[in-house]
Amino acid sequence: MSPQNSSTAAIQVRSLTKRYGELIALNDFNLEVERGSIFGLLGPNGAGKTTLIRILTTLMRQSSGEVLIDGLDPQTHGREIRTLIGVVSQENSLDRYITARENLELHARLHGMESERYRRRIDELLELMGLAGRQHDMPDTYSGGMQRRLVVARALLHEPRVLFLDEPTTGLDPQSRRAVWEYVRSIAGSMTIFLTTHYLEEAEQLCDRIAIMDHGRLIALGSSQELKDKLTGGTVYQIDFGGQIEHYASLLRGMSCVKAVEVSEQSACVSLESWECLSEVVSALNGAPVRRIALKERTLEDVFMDLTGKGVRE
Amino acid sequence: MTLRGSFAIWRRDMLVLRRSILSEMVAVVAYPLTIYLAFGIGMKGYIGLVDGVPYSLFIAPGLITMTAVNAAYNESVWSLWFHRRVQFTIESYRVTPISVSEIVIAKILSGFTHGLTKGLVVGLVLFTITPFRFPLEHLASYLVFLVPGSALFSCAGVICGTVMDKPETIGKVEAVFIMPLIFMSGLFFPLSSYPAAVIPWVRALPTTALFEGARQALVVGGIPYVFLLQVTVTALVVFASAVWIFRWKMSE
Repeated sequence: MSPQNSSTAAIQVRSLTKRYGELIALNDFNLEVERGSIFGLLGPNGAGKTTLIRILTTLMRQSSGEVLIDGLDPQTHGREIRTLIGVVSQENSLDRYITARENLELHARLHGMESERYRRRIDELLELMGLAGRQHDMPDTYSGGMQRRLVVARALLHEPRVLFLDEPTTGLDPQSRRAVWEYVRSIAGSMTIFLTTHYLEEAEQLCDRIAIMDHGRLIALGSSQELKDKLTGGTVYQIDFGGQIEHYASLLRGMSCVKAVEVSEQSACVSLESWECLSEVVSALNGAPVRRIALKERTLEDVFMDLTGKGVRE
Repeated sequence: MTLRGSFAIWRRDMLVLRRSILSEMVAVVAYPLTIYLAFGIGMKGYIGLVDGVPYSLFIAPGLITMTAVNAAYNESVWSLWFHRRVQFTIESYRVTPISVSEIVIAKILSGFTHGLTKGLVVGLVLFTITPFRFPLEHLASYLVFLVPGSALFSCAGVICGTVMDKPETIGKVEAVFIMPLIFMSGLFFPLSSYPAAVIPWVRALPTTALFEGARQALVVGGIPYVFLLQVTVTALVVFASAVWIFRWKMSE
């Protein structure tokens, strides 16, 4: 199927709203995902990520607003869209009563693939995912990492143009997680990848652009570096003391150019209005038992916590 | 609408059935065979003829029909519930280019095939190892009842598997509705045993039409068309309801 529009966007979301009775899961949400990019969607539990991905994958209808996947509207072209997309859902959703290979064969038949084509493609994918030797085993005899790789293979079987990965590495050990990352990187460019994750490192490692959403709204969008740059507006230093930390923390809190001071054991994280304030701080600490002063790099997690708050969500 | 997706899912279900056929059949045959031996053989000296036929011959067609419809219902209800709530395979089907209707039709077909296969196996076992005999030419007219009967219960199973989220609720529905419907339909005793005021109500049940019609078809021969019409129309209505309810549930 040829692309349905000349736009460079694989996914376009305009003023998308989804209501469940009184609850607004998505509130006037807007987004564009460029073709061939890896796009990461972050948000705390209940932010609306799952609702958004369910609408994008045609599993749910929006209350209002417009969605286009490769130029096609899911409300009127659901079947066509499903031929274009691959979905790795949060749950493995593998059939434990048939073998790994049979799982892939069933999926290929549901996509209407010819047997000669799907047999060849299944061989390729099983080899690529390192599952060829266990292809005749039932998936519930697989480790978590192998099951996840099988689900990814299933989503790629029909060579989709847009791949949705909904928390693809949740519950995996670090080795398996890195194996999935490597594979995602290897296919980057050949298709658009839309990824949701709770692992900020994962988004940072894989994604060209990252969106952060909360309460059904998009609250930040950009590359990892752009998001970090947006956040700081000031500089954070870590100062290690040899003693009397509470005394010096209180002294720093009293300074006008110090935005915040967080104390942890013998260390203080000091947020300054700007880096020029550092000399003032150093002067104020003259004679203090300072062991080390280091610039603290902002992480994506800092950005995430700053935007979405530190409270635990239900 | 094409049925490509239905066929692919039905094929998967048949692959699973084929793999577990021996253990399935042992379990399926054990229950009706025990009932047959306990009631048909054990009680025949006390009961004698019912509606002009020996008691063991009277209950045998009902036991075959009961096996078929139970198997159809159980396969549909548990398969749909398991694939929806435990394995999440329904979700993985729904992101492929097939329609929701194709999924529900596949599950109905699978339940129907389970019912028909298991019913026929029980019939064969009863025919082989018990004195129960019927003219083989009556088998075709019996199947005319068994086909819509299994389809009816398969559709009912799909409805229950779609709307019920807890497995214990499924068990309760079977105990409170399905088994009483089967047992009240003249499986173990003639309808004339009911008080006169109750008989019209019992006759109105589609299960009565199924069990009575199937028994007449197998024992006496011919097709009781009124019963057949009643079973077929009910099966069609329940089929349409099953498709609608499944589509509604999936759009939630």
